[in-house]
Amino acid sequence: MSEQTSILILDDEPIVSKRLRPSLEKKGYEVETFTASADALKRVRERQFDIVVTDLKMEGVDGMQFLTEVKSLYPDTEVIVITGFATMATAKESFNKGVFDFLAKPFKLGEIAEVIAKAEAKIKKS
Amino acid sequence: MKKILHRIGQLFFRKEHESVPFKILFADFKKSLELNNQILDLIADANDKLSGDYIFDEQYIQSTCRRLTDLVRELIVIINHLTQQKYSGLYNSFHHIEEEIESILQGKILYPVTEYILPYATVTRDLVDAVGGKNAHIAEIGSLLGMRIPDGFAITTAAFSAFWEENNLEETVGTINKEWQQERISVEEASRTIQEAVLDAALPTKLEQQILRAAGQIIRGEQKDAPCFAVRSSALGEDDVASFAGQYRSRLNIPLEELPRAYREVVASLYSPEAMEYRLHKDFRPNEIMMAVACQLMIPASASGVMYSYDPVRPETETLIINSAWGLGEPIVSGEVPTDHFVIDRRPPHTVSQMQVVRKEQSMVLQGCGGLGMEWVREEQRTEPSLKNHHLQELAEIGLRLEKYFKKPQDIEFAIDREDRVIVLQSRQLTLQQERPPRACDLTGIGGKYPILMRGKGIAAMEGIASGPAWVLGRDGDLKDFPMGAILVARHASPQLARVIHKASGFITDVGSTTGHLATVAREFRVPALFNVENATDLLKHGEDITLDTECLTIYGGIVQELNYYSFHEEPIEEMYEYRLLRRVLKKIEPLNLFDPNEENFTPKGCRTYHDLTRFVHEKAVETIIDLNFYHAHHRDTQAGQLLWEYPLDLILIDVGGGIEGEHEKGIRAEQVSSVPMQALLRGMSYPGIWDMSPSKVDFSSFMSSLTRTTPTRNTSPEDVGRNLAVVSAEYTNINFRLGYHFTVIDAFISDSVLDNHIYFRFSGGVTETTRRARRTRLLGDILSHYDFLCELHGDIIVARLKRMDKQSMLRRLFLLGLLVGFTRQLDVKMVNDTKIHEYFNKMKTIMEESNE
Repeated sequence: MSEQTSILILDDEPIVSKRLRPSLEKKGYEVETFTASADALKRVRERQFDIVVTDLKMEGVDGMQFLTEVKSLYPDTEVIVITGFATMATAKESFNKGVFDFLAKPFKLGEIAEVIAKAEAKIKKS
Repeated sequence: MKKILHRIGQLFFRKEHESVPFKILFADFKKSLELNNQILDLIADANDKLSGDYIFDEQYIQSTCRRLTDLVRELIVIINHLTQQKYSGLYNSFHHIEEEIESILQGKILYPVTEYILPYATVTRDLVDAVGGKNAHIAEIGSLLGMRIPDGFAITTAAFSAFWEENNLEETVGTINKEWQQERISVEEASRTIQEAVLDAALPTKLEQQILRAAGQIIRGEQKDAPCFAVRSSALGEDDVASFAGQYRSRLNIPLEELPRAYREVVASLYSPEAMEYRLHKDFRPNEIMMAVACQLMIPASASGVMYSYDPVRPETETLIINSAWGLGEPIVSGEVPTDHFVIDRRPPHTVSQMQVVRKEQSMVLQGCGGLGMEWVREEQRTEPSLKNHHLQELAEIGLRLEKYFKKPQDIEFAIDREDRVIVLQSRQLTLQQERPPRACDLTGIGGKYPILMRGKGIAAMEGIASGPAWVLGRDGDLKDFPMGAILVARHASPQLARVIHKASGFITDVGSTTGHLATVAREFRVPALFNVENATDLLKHGEDITLDTECLTIYGGIVQELNYYSFHEEPIEEMYEYRLLRRVLKKIEPLNLFDPNEENFTPKGCRTYHDLTRFVHEKAVETIIDLNFYHAHHRDTQAGQLLWEYPLDLILIDVGGGIEGEHEKGIRAEQVSSVPMQALLRGMSYPGIWDMSPSKVDFSSFMSSLTRTTPTRNTSPEDVGRNLAVVSAEYTNINFRLGYHFTVIDAFISDSVLDNHIYFRFSGGVTETTRRARRTRLLGDILSHYDFLCELHGDIIVARLKRMDKQSMLRRLFLLGLLVGFTRQLDVKMVNDTKIHEYFNKMKTIMEESNE
């Protein structure tokens, strides 16, 4: 149980990783960040992350495809979606795919930290 | 009565072609209120994002701006519809702002001037993108704070752009930069090649001429022979955001004819290896790299130094640090000569707690114009302190004032001139060596030391900590007397208070909302503000020292030194490109320049931001809807009828939607009135005993009572007919009364949405001689102010306004207006002496307390 919880963050806007990473590392998480979905995809094929935080709308591999892939590789990885184009349809679709939670951008650092903590608690429980 | 209705009918018929149905105008008005609130909320939201708490991306900035643009455009269309294109000038201002915002979003830095040169007297902080931080700060220190600064001028970013364009430097620099970033050449080589290109480039002729002319004018103003100049960098963001201290070049003691060369040298230092590395590290985009230059008269300093308004390493010691030596400041700043070291208490009387005087062998001095050199200090001066006690006292005061004004600890360069005066050369933000401190309220132990005057009430419109004397704004108070550094305590968060934003260290109000104008201004200037404290004006004594902590909703008695440096914590988010972009774009959106409708700049042309446009439209929408009922007749698509009741008042009600219920062929009974504000007014007007039914006991009583009937005595102008009218809807009432010679306008909109609520009251005229009228005006002013109205008195006209209170409070005040309308009819004839004012005032208060309104 003493093992660090690992988090992968994928967002094509660098500021998201830039701000999330130090704040999550300070809380003791192991964090890897990506701005290109192809790179992130390559990485998840190499190893499992406990939690994946991803944007939905990006160039190249779309976030929805990415999270579908993650969930099929590792059903127990918790995926948190962050997006600036929050519609009911996308929210529904991502929940259908087993997403843990859905956050609309912009959000507060405290809000995402809370969601991550909940996901972490769920993982540790099971 | 029939006659009147007939007249109104005629009027409608005549005006039919040109008039827009009132219902539609009224719907426009309501829509404009709605847009107004949406815009202010969106602006406040975006502004919140600068707090450092949020993660937002460029796309958020883009979409927020576009939304705002759409809403503001719609607002302008509506006001022009409402006023038959009276304010079409707004489109020009709007398009101009919209274009500016678009170019900022595309990554361009706007330089807002076409002038290449701006003398310090014309520079304000608004021009910071034109003149750079250093110029803007020093000019403000001179003009707004009245401190001594060297005379000078800014060479603007417009000049820089012209210079760059004429020599095609953007391309040259871009190519070399790329090579460096791809690691094909070293940073040293890149820097050297770029700097050579800049030094070889020719200044645009016009720019060169203007520099020489501006410098020539300063020289002519000087009595001394052939003064020289200091040429320093004033790059964008240099002082504001990230500290670039020492990375750019300065050229000293430059004679007039060599200024163009010095300008190129300073500009070239934008591409020093250190600066290039630094910008790469901070994620600066090519478009952000621009330099304005400061050209200042050289001060032949007898001594110079640097002051830190806080000890940057141990801020908790509450001390100011000064290092100084003889002669010019350059070797002091660069650490080439030993300096005297003074530690001074930040608290008055600023005792000098440490003084280390070193032996100062050499100093840098001017050698004629153009020359600089190190000279031996006279033997007897070498061990003497380079600053005297009176200098230290003056410096401490300067340091604290600058810190208060710029809201950050300051790093100040100064000189002592030959007349022994302190001259401020530069002031920039000082970075404290401190992790972001815990929230001030988490600090234990403060509570016991200082009395808590208030805790847990109010809302923070701007977070932060302020300390200073409380300055309680009374009804007769004049903001002109507001002292520097005080905390303004007022009943309302009125936009008029923004006038003292440069002086105030904090704001506390009994009433106010975080989306109000004052809140937005407080955030723009980062002045801590706590609103809705309810009883601050009673609680706080004028002149008493207090410390305001809006993060923890607490007011302490006394100056809480422990909290002081917590007010200056660093914001690492400022290093992000998105943060800078949002901040830049908000400058075109958020600042409010139109404060007072009576000021000259309150025009479409005066609008410089979306906030200005919104404020202007709001003011004009209210004004228009009042005027519509004032000067114009009404429309036939509305329901109308006479109010049937026992009081001597003929009132025509016009319903534009939901204001009247049931049949009203023969007139409208009071209980049929379903307009919420009208009901409250009628309740007041019909309060037992308030409406004096007997004719007044004055000679001209019959004359008076004849006038309380609406039948116009001069039934000539159609406008007269419209005057005893009330336009009502479920949430709205606009009344124009003429009772005797009293002339009263009430305009009120009251709903569950606090932001939309307003009451406007205007009262004028009277049949008695001036003293009695003045008494009556005073009485009205006293009563209305007591019940929170903002009152303006002009002769015997009184205008009272109230905005943004909750529904119940608004209705209670309309009830009061109802009382006053009924009551004032008797007033001027009974206001026989001054004690009556007090008597009636108390009578009104008693009724208000007894009634269950």
